[in-house]
Amino acid sequence: MGEVIVVTSGKGGVGKTTTTANIGTGFALQGKKVVLVDADIGLRNLDVVMGLENRIVYDLIDVTEGNCRLKQALIRDKRYETLYLLPAAQTRDKNAVSPDQMKELCEDLSKDFDYVIIDCPAGIEQGFKNAIAGADRAIVVTTPEVSAVRDADRIIGLLESEGKHNPKLIVNRIRPKMVKKGDMMDIDDIIEILAVDLLGIIPEDEYIVISTNRGEPAVVNPVSTASSAYKNIVRRLTGENVPLMTLETNDGFFDKLKKIFGL
Amino acid sequence: MRSNVVFKGSKNGLQLIIDDSADFESVIEQLRLKLESASAFFASGNALVHVPAAKHRLTSEQQKELITLFNNYGLTWQEDIDNASPAVDSSPENQAEEAEADQTLIFNRTVRNGQEVVHRGTVIVMGDVNPGAKVIAGGDIIIHGTCRGIAHAGALGNISATITADRLIASQIRIAHLISRAPDNLDIPECIETARIKDGVVIIEPAQ
Repeated sequence: MGEVIVVTSGKGGVGKTTTTANIGTGFALQGKKVVLVDADIGLRNLDVVMGLENRIVYDLIDVTEGNCRLKQALIRDKRYETLYLLPAAQTRDKNAVSPDQMKELCEDLSKDFDYVIIDCPAGIEQGFKNAIAGADRAIVVTTPEVSAVRDADRIIGLLESEGKHNPKLIVNRIRPKMVKKGDMMDIDDIIEILAVDLLGIIPEDEYIVISTNRGEPAVVNPVSTASSAYKNIVRRLTGENVPLMTLETNDGFFDKLKKIFGL
Repeated sequence: MRSNVVFKGSKNGLQLIIDDSADFESVIEQLRLKLESASAFFASGNALVHVPAAKHRLTSEQQKELITLFNNYGLTWQEDIDNASPAVDSSPENQAEEAEADQTLIFNRTVRNGQEVVHRGTVIVMGDVNPGAKVIAGGDIIIHGTCRGIAHAGALGNISATITADRLIASQIRIAHLISRAPDNLDIPECIETARIKDGVVIIEPAQ
């Protein structure tokens, strides 16, 4: 049985879809069999970020309503053989599927895959409840902004009340320079409020915009800083002990990053 | 005076037990007094109130009057959950109410944004109270952690209730009917502090 991981945040725009795409692709780079599930029904994006939009024939709702078999709806990635996508329906809404159906779907998928990664929609309503229903563990994504951290706290509370304890935290879009000047919340501030384990931090990286627009996850690019951060996260998820980035140095930005990545 | 109306907490919200032998006018009057004295406790709104077997025991006019009264105090009328009228136990309800007020609730986790801990007695939180979270207690509140949310002690009107936290940087401190908010630039305290009412205002001082 594979592991079902949900990527969630509460707030929109913090990088759930980007994180899902990159972690999934990262697993595939390691040769793991992975399926990405887009649970954002009605506002699907994961297919676009993965560059698989034009291959969609059937979607998640077609599977739950029995219009097709699960295997028919799975889209194989164009770059990696072991990476698949189950796209969301675009013409329906979050009420078209129930938590029980999602649970069943996750169980079916986890029989065939090492990792099932669910991209959760923003918000705390039906879409969120559906997305977390079948998950074994949760990854909460936040950015170093007070509003995103508040929402992350709310989400962690809701996850706990659904019996999903000890979610892991990813802090996305950190700008080391701003943190150093005291203009941005630093990791310690965030951890102090949220009191959960840190899975990784992702520095702000322009390449994410480029990769998203190209439909090619950043993790594929060897020189992108965010890419290295995602690779570290994937290694941590597989149980490896990879030290966290430290942001306290007096060097220039690039020296600092080189140090962080051990280059 | 004997009380003809009693509120009981249940897992579905509040239950209002009305003494059938009392006349409706005095019931309404007592209810109004009760709600007035505890208005701060119910102020958070949305509390559901259910009157067991209301359909059989009250006329529709009486029900309407109750609903209006509840709405004025931020309570929501709830229809009978099922048709079988829940057993109204004959034991004195006041005792059960007081028993809960004597008990201390220990909450062993961090209270997170959007979560609410409500208890008639003293509440001890073994963790933080995060921004957006609320702790409402009939008695004292003790937080073994950082309090950044809203704490309301003595919510049933007890003005001698106190709020103590390892780091008291609550966005609001409410004791009984008094509400005070944190100054816009609050320094993080270095010692355990207690908030209490003194001379009609909420003060914060190092805990003894």
